[in-house]
Amino acid sequence: MHDMPGPAQGGSAYDGPTYYDRPSLKPAPFNTTVVGGYIFLAGLAGAAQMLAALVRRARPPGFRRVARTGHALSLLAPTLGAGLLIYDLHTPQRFANMLRIFRRTSPMSIGTWVLMAFSGSSLATVAADWLGRVPGLRWLRPLGRAAELPAAVSGAALGTYTASLLSATSTPLWAATPRALAVRFGASSVASACAALSLAERRADNHRTARDLDTLALAALGVELAASLACRRRWRAVGLGAAEDTVSGKVLLEGGADLVGTALPIALHAAALAAPPAASRRGSALGSFATLIGSLCLRIGVLEAGDATALRPRESLGFAQPRNLPRQR
Amino acid sequence: MRTLEGIVTVVQEGRFLLTTDDGSTHLLILSHAAAAEPHQLAALQRAQSRVRATCRPAPDLIGWVVRRLDVLEATA
Amino acid sequence: MSVTAERSVQAVHVHPRARDYPGSFLDGVIPNESELTCGTRIEPGKSYGFFTDTTLCIGCKACEVACKEWNALPADSVGFTGMSYDNTGGLSANTWRHVAFIEKRGPTGTRQTDQDAFQSGWLMMSDVCKHCHNAPCLEACPTGALFRTEFDTVVVQQDICNGCGYCVPACPFGVVDLNPLDGKAHKCTLCYDRLKGGLEPACAKACPTDSIQFGEVPELQARAEQRVEQLQSLGVAGAHLYGAPGGEGATGGLGHLNAFFLLTERPETYGLPPAPTRPANRVAPGLLAGLATMAGLALGALALLGGGRR
Repeated sequence: MHDMPGPAQGGSAYDGPTYYDRPSLKPAPFNTTVVGGYIFLAGLAGAAQMLAALVRRARPPGFRRVARTGHALSLLAPTLGAGLLIYDLHTPQRFANMLRIFRRTSPMSIGTWVLMAFSGSSLATVAADWLGRVPGLRWLRPLGRAAELPAAVSGAALGTYTASLLSATSTPLWAATPRALAVRFGASSVASACAALSLAERRADNHRTARDLDTLALAALGVELAASLACRRRWRAVGLGAAEDTVSGKVLLEGGADLVGTALPIALHAAALAAPPAASRRGSALGSFATLIGSLCLRIGVLEAGDATALRPRESLGFAQPRNLPRQR
Repeated sequence: MRTLEGIVTVVQEGRFLLTTDDGSTHLLILSHAAAAEPHQLAALQRAQSRVRATCRPAPDLIGWVVRRLDVLEATA
Repeated sequence: MSVTAERSVQAVHVHPRARDYPGSFLDGVIPNESELTCGTRIEPGKSYGFFTDTTLCIGCKACEVACKEWNALPADSVGFTGMSYDNTGGLSANTWRHVAFIEKRGPTGTRQTDQDAFQSGWLMMSDVCKHCHNAPCLEACPTGALFRTEFDTVVVQQDICNGCGYCVPACPFGVVDLNPLDGKAHKCTLCYDRLKGGLEPACAKACPTDSIQFGEVPELQARAEQRVEQLQSLGVAGAHLYGAPGGEGATGGLGHLNAFFLLTERPETYGLPPAPTRPANRVAPGLLAGLATMAGLALGALALLGGGRR
């Protein structure tokens, strides 16, 4: 039955007959900048809240402000982040329909409830910080403390569920590597939160704490770099390597996420650790900025490159070959 | 923007056919920004209501996008 | 009725109940009309679908027209695609049946110039929503707008859909589409309204060659197996099913497709993925790997900050 030329084995895209090279999948109708912006903000806010809770628990000296800043950063998700999500709906006045059901097969539904839990508990932590000293509102402080754990756990989920949201589709680039993409998003979230917190500490001339945060960012960036390499390897193996050759793939993923967002801050932070603290403040601050930009580029880049693979039948049909099926358990 | 006046004859989801007084039939799509919901259309069709639709041509489609729908009279 | 007319009626195996309605004009819908048109009584709780036999398709596009007519779908993609006889292009928010036209090319990559008698170099296939057993669009929908009906079909409820668009990339076949004008997702409903009224779906009823067959899924599957055997015995070696339980097109946890196909070439030729997967199977790996990363980095942070006590 298969007398036509078959697909090439291994890492190349499908080269057999297609239907006039027309797309066999539809790309996600998301606005990549808006949704990429949300994923970035959700990651930053979630990881900041998680770090705030860790700081509150470990109580390292010089970190008093970090928890407060982390709580404040967490507000980015329920405010601006949620606004971006609603803006991206095509019938935005029905945004509340997201709360009709919970569906465990849908990361979009899981994420809605994670965002709800995160928003509620984060508001409690911020309210305790900002209003806990007002007479008559002192009851906010135990409430805020009680909210720290749920805020941290939902924050951890918020920083990474978006990778699962993308993987649980049929878009080849996202579906090809659910685990590595989740590690990449999670590590990028932690790195961006460390970068934002570090910048805030540097603004307050608290360079010692900023240095510790940069070290943590360095670890997260290392994980992100490893996950980025794992993603790329997997994409090449299933014939999706060309996705990175698109303009958005080259600029956003290779240039933005990998070079500016990962390699550059790794180099700057590593150099700062080796050099005397005072000499490397500018470099470290630059590294933190680069991390934030790279984290945003990563999310928009993955969205754009994913849409490109959905539109290219040779890549989507090449990915949907029996040899790429998950192994039977 | 232009207005079409006539009777709602067929309704499917958020789409409906409007037959105007000159006997021509147009396909209209309820915009997401319209102050009417798809489930309200069925009642208009059952009642053979006369409506005025404020609409614009749909891009790359043979049909109209309705921004505003006014019920003129509900004839039984 | 004259004797000859009666004889001809018997000759084409018309359902006996059809004799109850000899007139051209009817007072209303015939009860359980689907029994008369396709031999299937439509009852809630049973599983219904399409068996599309592409070897019978003549590319008349009656299914496309019937679908647009019944569902009041506007004509879209006004213009010419410039390829084959297909100006529809593909399934979209406003096109729920799409007839694909493939001109077979010879082994050298050029069009064949000679042909066996009564053979055609054209493959035609009427594509449609597959109404998957484990429907990825339904599993992705966060609002519950997509639901499984009492006829085991998958439908978007227009009064609930908020146009998040997540069902669009979820579909492994590129079927579901968002209409930016009304801001909702749309796809084939397998004529849900007609099924409720005891009518065969519009496309299947309009199909003049019975390439599109409507019925109960198990019955259609059995019929399709027989048809494959028959075709293979006639020498159509490439005849095979796409979307039969666990087979090509229903891989990776999709179960089976309620709307399945008989193809004679590899599925990519028709723009169909040979081995689609169920996206919901990737939810847990993604979530767990992500949470493990966050936990690992949190432990790292704890070690760093705890160890950094000064």
